[in-house]
Amino acid sequence: MPHCTPEDLGLAALREPLGPDAAEHLAGCASCTDEVGRLRRAVDVLTVPELAEPTAPVAPPPALWAGIAAATGVSSAPRPQVVAASAPPAGPVPDAPPVPLAPLPAEPVPLRPAAARPLPPEPPVAPVVPLRPRRSRLLLAAAAALVVGLGVGAGAVALSGREDEGVAVAAAQLDPLAGSDATGTASVVEREDGTRVLRVELAADAPAEGYYEAWLLTESVSGLVPLGVVRAGTEEFELPPGIDIGEYPVVDVSVEPLDGDPAHSGESVARGLLES
Amino acid sequence: MTGLLEPRTGRWSPRVGDVTTQAEPVPPGAAEPDDDEVGRRFAAGDEQALAWAYERWAARVHGMAVRAFGPGPDAEDVTQQTFVSAWTGRAGYRPDQGPLPAWLTGVCRHKIADTWAKRDRQRRAAEAAIIEAQARPTGGPQPVDAAVADRVLLLGELDRLGQPQRGIIELAFFADLTHAQISERTGLPLGTVKSHIRRTLERLRDRLEVDGAALHA
Repeated sequence: MPHCTPEDLGLAALREPLGPDAAEHLAGCASCTDEVGRLRRAVDVLTVPELAEPTAPVAPPPALWAGIAAATGVSSAPRPQVVAASAPPAGPVPDAPPVPLAPLPAEPVPLRPAAARPLPPEPPVAPVVPLRPRRSRLLLAAAAALVVGLGVGAGAVALSGREDEGVAVAAAQLDPLAGSDATGTASVVEREDGTRVLRVELAADAPAEGYYEAWLLTESVSGLVPLGVVRAGTEEFELPPGIDIGEYPVVDVSVEPLDGDPAHSGESVARGLLES
Repeated sequence: MTGLLEPRTGRWSPRVGDVTTQAEPVPPGAAEPDDDEVGRRFAAGDEQALAWAYERWAARVHGMAVRAFGPGPDAEDVTQQTFVSAWTGRAGYRPDQGPLPAWLTGVCRHKIADTWAKRDRQRRAAEAAIIEAQARPTGGPQPVDAAVADRVLLLGELDRLGQPQRGIIELAFFADLTHAQISERTGLPLGTVKSHIRRTLERLRDRLEVDGAALHA
């Protein structure tokens, strides 16, 4: 039997059953098996359940739109009842627990068991966990902050109050960098369970392009820890466990283009030094 | 993107008969546009089309985000970023290449993969900080999770495919259809489907072996 055709190797990489002759050859041929393995890497990387076609629609919380409006500057608005009606109101809502993705398993489980090819399994059905209300308030605050700057020069505020949500252990005043008028405050808050968050209160116009991202830097700017996307208003970022804020004492807010490059753009708009 | 994945009519068809008490931005008497018209206006930068797209497909996108991350801030960020990126990157949407909801699904896939990559960066930064704090001698920086980086790389490569290659491989990867089912769904001959699958897999293989290697080095 000659080698498998390239088409058969492609189908085998997708775990489709081959004709008997091709299957028999493949089972005994190291070179064809090797090629299937090379083609299958891409299949296994992409055919994970999280990337499959959407299954059960879930209406997003009503406040979500405010963030989109703030980031895009559009003045139109969807009708909340139409959005709500686009997801089945009483049907089971998939509530798959977050997949442990940090780190991902080295070998993602392919969607398809060999040859059987059933439809992707439905996510397990479980009771709906209410969304945390914090988010909605943040989004509304973010939208509001675009109209009126919030929290300018409120360094002291960050250290007072909020005892119910943890204890502030360090705070920084964020000062604008060249060509920017962004200001704000940042504080490191230790919560009861020992985890720490960086609370950033930013007063800034939305960037003309891209988005703001918060970072912790070493004083020499030789080390950077990305924390996440930040908007005007108050945002909280959980700090990586074990990070020493004495070593990374600089809070930095940058403008990042939507270019898919995870590195710092080099364009910072506000910066401040955390002091205990 | 994929003209093949999405029905052009059906459950997301416009609700022309709906009565609403809210202010309606459409001129009086004008019916709401169908999905194709929303797609064309979206591509043309009509702000109202973004609101219509959100009304019709936000639950679909959010369902995907919730499936990946569970309900909560991560899923909400993915949904928000999907619509923000789709709007700011609307020049990349070609209505003649497929319906808007399919394109939004593709943008959402990128955002999910980006979120995984971001978590991986944070994990490595945290591990590096711990190692440094413990002053433990180590063998250099933490490795990038290869699957996370490869996923971002390959989704980018899918964006470069034309039709019908892209629709075919998406049906194979994301709708889990066999080549025979894809042929039936698209009306393309079996041999054509097999040949497109083969060429696309070889292209993805090359991308992984050339750029993936550099990425992980």
